[in-house]
Amino acid sequence: MQRKHVLVTGGSRGLGAHLIRGLLADGYRVSTCSRTRTPVIEELLGQPEVSDRFFWGPCQVGVAEEVDTFVRDAVAWAGADGLYGVINNAGIAQAGILASFPNVESEKILQVNLLGAIQVARAASQYLLKAKDGGRIINISSIIGTRGYNGLAAYSASKAGMDGLTRALARELGRRGITVNSVAPGYMKTDMSSTLNAGQLAQIVNRTPLRRLASEEDVLGLVRFLLSDAAAMITGQTILVDGGVSC
Amino acid sequence: MEKQEILSAIQKLVADILEQKGLDVVTLDASTELLGGELGIDSLDLATLVRELEETTGRDPFSEGFIEFRTAGELADLYVR
Repeated sequence: MQRKHVLVTGGSRGLGAHLIRGLLADGYRVSTCSRTRTPVIEELLGQPEVSDRFFWGPCQVGVAEEVDTFVRDAVAWAGADGLYGVINNAGIAQAGILASFPNVESEKILQVNLLGAIQVARAASQYLLKAKDGGRIINISSIIGTRGYNGLAAYSASKAGMDGLTRALARELGRRGITVNSVAPGYMKTDMSSTLNAGQLAQIVNRTPLRRLASEEDVLGLVRFLLSDAAAMITGQTILVDGGVSC
Repeated sequence: MEKQEILSAIQKLVADILEQKGLDVVTLDASTELLGGELGIDSLDLATLVRELEETTGRDPFSEGFIEFRTAGELADLYVR
């Protein structure tokens, strides 16, 4: 049975783990990578109903050789299903006032969040182009790529860069039916938002028209839509899932 | 690989691309311009071609940076050991 293969980076925890669980439940073939095999990965590999549709490979996103190897292995694993979708989800965050923020931390953030996304998109687009039947690239960005936030300068720059990648790639790959979009969650109660304290999160909820933080399920909903045929005419966009806080 | 072998590989890959696009297959030589000429391939086709050449030859001449090339012969030269 033919299944669409979606490659998700950073699926071992947090939002990435939620995305791969959701896509497996939808019937997709799913591959993911992380630096180490986490309990989430072990659990999915051990589930008979999904293990034949799930592939994990070790990979440090941001290291081009490792990305190339992982993408090649994942496509080889998928066999005739090739590659349909790519979700650039792997990311790291670190907060601090820039004036005293170590340069090495900024470099790490840019290396994983932005260069890593470029590396994955490059490697994957080679297979998407070869397949010649379209595809999807979804970059998991952040509201912090379009809105400023105290203490997150490097992270914000990495996500704004990712949104630029989305627009450029949408133009580059559009003529082959490959859509490229950014999904930008608002402030979430996840690992990536651990840099915000309870008071800051409460303040954000008060400023949000829908009066709650975005959830992983909210993000999955948009990802599902963008992967579907219904989204075939949407490309080059940064779509916020933020309960209206930015409107 | 010798240059002629690589040129033959380029010829075959270009023929595959043109066939898939429903275009007439043309014979190319070392002086054939890959883009902007009469060949009928675009920049995305060329990206696919370069990727296939990497697999065929086991070499990636662009790993250290971008190198300009215009013709099939100039591209083949990049893969000659």
